[in-house]
Amino acid sequence: MEILKISTNDFKSFIDKKIKESKTRTVGVVKKGAHYVFADLNSADELQLDYDVTILPPKKYFQPPKEILLKYVPKKVDSYTAVNRCDPITIIGIHYYDLAAIYLMDRAFSEGERDEHYMKKRENSLLIGIYPTKHFKDRFYRSVTRDQGLKVADIMLVQIGAYYVVEILTPKGKQYLEGAKLQKNDYSVKEIEEAKASIKDDQKIPIPVEMIPDYLARNHTHPAWAYFGEKCFSCGSCVLVCPTCYCFDVREEVELSLAEGQRVRTWDGCMLEDFATVADGHNFRSTRESRFRHRIFRKGKHLPEKYGYFGCVGCGRCADACTADIAGPVKVIKYMEEHK
Amino acid sequence: MCENCGCQSSEEIVKNSIYLPGVASLLKKQPMTPFDSFFEFALKDRPLGHLPGQFAEISIPGIGECPISISSPPSEEKTFQMVIRNVGSVTNAIHALKPGDSVGIRGPFGTSFPMNNLKDKNLLFITGGIGLVPARSAILYALEHRDDYKNIWILFGCKDPSQRLFTNELAKWEKREDITFHESVDRADGADWKGNVGVITTLFPKVQKEINPRDTYAIIVGPPVMYKFAIMGLHDMEFADDHIIVSLERRMKCGVGKCGHCQMDNIYVCQDGPVFYYDDIKHLKEAI
Repeated sequence: MEILKISTNDFKSFIDKKIKESKTRTVGVVKKGAHYVFADLNSADELQLDYDVTILPPKKYFQPPKEILLKYVPKKVDSYTAVNRCDPITIIGIHYYDLAAIYLMDRAFSEGERDEHYMKKRENSLLIGIYPTKHFKDRFYRSVTRDQGLKVADIMLVQIGAYYVVEILTPKGKQYLEGAKLQKNDYSVKEIEEAKASIKDDQKIPIPVEMIPDYLARNHTHPAWAYFGEKCFSCGSCVLVCPTCYCFDVREEVELSLAEGQRVRTWDGCMLEDFATVADGHNFRSTRESRFRHRIFRKGKHLPEKYGYFGCVGCGRCADACTADIAGPVKVIKYMEEHK
Repeated sequence: MCENCGCQSSEEIVKNSIYLPGVASLLKKQPMTPFDSFFEFALKDRPLGHLPGQFAEISIPGIGECPISISSPPSEEKTFQMVIRNVGSVTNAIHALKPGDSVGIRGPFGTSFPMNNLKDKNLLFITGGIGLVPARSAILYALEHRDDYKNIWILFGCKDPSQRLFTNELAKWEKREDITFHESVDRADGADWKGNVGVITTLFPKVQKEINPRDTYAIIVGPPVMYKFAIMGLHDMEFADDHIIVSLERRMKCGVGKCGHCQMDNIYVCQDGPVFYYDDIKHLKEAI
């Protein structure tokens, strides 16, 4: 890893030049009303790297809310054609926890049967991450993430005053920064690490994350599931804002002319009522209690056992988005601890 | 321009997409019950190459895709058979097909009945309703390799006589002397039915005395409600859990372990199943 620094102004001019001169699509964090979102940048003036959280994670660029998998002429089976939109993209300003989530998504789509629709988009992406510089009331990423975010980032930024310390993690990242007014880094390791950790999490999972899989296994029948299940509206907000939820539905869309059609995949989630319903109407997860438990088990037990990393990255979006104010894993584990 | 997000991204063709179906044509179709029909297909450019107990995703462009069990044994190399219940838009469209029409096929997917491991053992098939469809691929395999297996018992139960499947084959199995076949219906409903009436477990006492549970493997395929009672009956007959094999149904939408619909605890049934040793999944809370 190469460590340099750049003034925030020089970084901005460099990005502005990139947006205007490069043909690659550049997206970054921009303000939308009182919130922040990842969106296409027309100029670096729009870029807001000092933000709390974005409404949706950058997952949407690799697994879009709706994406075409196949095109066809209706009823003509030999017309099936698999398609993808995977032009190069640079994403600027991804918080560490969202990078950790992308690591998990990469594992899910590349291992076993390889999903080229996702993987091509990822291969054509360049990720510029940043350590959070603003509080977010529901965030707890430090208690649930480890090194995984650094495995996917090409460049990491650490803000110290009017400078960014630039950690260059990949050759692709180095190439991207050619022409930037980079300077020799004169901050000490201690100063950099302190800057990375300067924004403390507002929340914390009350037990060590590596103990959670066994903890959940012992608590399959804990009254928490009925307690939270009873309050859940099954609206699916928690799974739709989650950076590590990748479950999807597949649907047909046919033009009115009936001359063209497409098989699309859309976001789906296990908290929605019909997620596990089969053709004869039998629902294998028919109660809100069972769906609520499944979501927490998936993040806290099944994904950690499969990938060696906790399945929740602590972004806090679910806790913030939840209509009933029950979705946050911190709240769930705290309740379980208080009602042993 | 991309119609989804408004970006200028262009579209490229994906050659090795796991979601791209191959083309199969319908060779033969025959109604079996008021809702179920038998279909025989052949893939255009390759044999399906399945093992007993696997499934495939069948699709019609513009209508959709759904998982269907394969009912024929692998010995039919060029063709494969399915029995499809008309319950939704895709199966409805498949029921409207005529011989010569085409469907999309992805697969085969999933685990299979461990026919090699079962050699020199007794086999007890416990099948309910359309559970007979995937079980038939293993039953026919065992009958084709009859000398590889010791005693074979087949138990079949369905709701009423109108829902019996493969009636010609059931009649043949009934007559064969090298296997034991029993069947029952839950309700006779005034039909001309002289056979057993009662749920599938009421057939267990008929075979219990002949079966040595230590040398016999039970294979259960049926509706969700059947497993618990069948396993309880097998426990009464002193079957060990590693001698019980189940094929479980879930919503196997993508078939490739991604979409999440078929999850059962941490298991993706489409890849880790549908066939399991009961011993391996009995600790799962969402299995049976």
